[in-house]
Amino acid sequence: MKATAEELGFHQRILARTDPIAFAELADTLYSSLVQVVCKRAGIQADQVLVEEAVGQALLDYHDHPGNYDPERISLHSYLVMAAYRDFQNAVAKEQRVKAHQVSLFDLALQGYDIADEQGTVDSHLQVEELQVIIDGIFSDAGERRIVTLILNKVQALTPYAQVLGIAHLPLEDQRKQVQLVKSRLIRRLRRRMSRMHITQ
Amino acid sequence: MSDFAPSLDRLALLARARPNLLAGSLARYQEQEGLDDKQLAARVGCEVEGLARLALCERPRSTPYFVRDAERIADYIHVDIKRLVPVLRALEVRETLSGSAGAQRAVGPTLLAARDYDGDENGEKRGAFDVGNEEEPENG
Repeated sequence: MKATAEELGFHQRILARTDPIAFAELADTLYSSLVQVVCKRAGIQADQVLVEEAVGQALLDYHDHPGNYDPERISLHSYLVMAAYRDFQNAVAKEQRVKAHQVSLFDLALQGYDIADEQGTVDSHLQVEELQVIIDGIFSDAGERRIVTLILNKVQALTPYAQVLGIAHLPLEDQRKQVQLVKSRLIRRLRRRMSRMHITQ
Repeated sequence: MSDFAPSLDRLALLARARPNLLAGSLARYQEQEGLDDKQLAARVGCEVEGLARLALCERPRSTPYFVRDAERIADYIHVDIKRLVPVLRALEVRETLSGSAGAQRAVGPTLLAARDYDGDENGEKRGAFDVGNEEEPENG
């Protein structure tokens, strides 16, 4: 289906680059609907923050390169849904890769320590308590302890980490980079200390 | 039923990386002035919800389009242009001083337009936007 008359109007205004409110109005008109459609397509379990980011990215990419869209071929709404869904899938795949990497690092950190589990003599509740004591011993800073706890609980969302670090006001990309740096640093530290504990035991 | 409601705020956050949109310079202005959203909205004269819309607007082009663009933005977010222009001017000045690429295109003429708005050297104010003397080419 071709672009609607309204979409064509927006498209021409954005192409012309002379109307300072054209993009804002387009976003105002389509954003909610795009998020809902992409959410639906992504499934009930979809991370809605990722969906919103993907829709935002699709709109901004369109803003940057409106000439890539051909109003004769497809409606602007469908074009943006397709772009956003593709971005969403890429984001999910990337997050899964990061998650796999984080889990493998942490598993490595715990290798050799979890003697209790091997012996089958300590219940899991005690292990959690012991782990917490160890974390308290390694990380004197409360913020670092909270970050490590989030990592241990396999929290993937960016926001809880950003809130603990007090960087929630920064652009998302900056937040992501800083959170990733902190997580990597803490995991390395945890891994080092646990290896040492294993040696001394 | 989920209580999730899409909001333009997240899009405005992403838009900060786009130098030709107002989002980035508005965020820097807010931070430098130490304003929260409510205070920034009060300064601009709009509702807090209007800030995301403002952030998604293009930066006004330089003179001779500055006035027209500012009026267009003011109409869109329902604010008095007399309150919006000083903020737009402050954004441009700061971006110029920080040397951002997006500011380069607007630097001189926008500042001149802003100065015109402030009034002449005798301290005599021009009309809010006395655009009668401003010749605006059509969609140049």
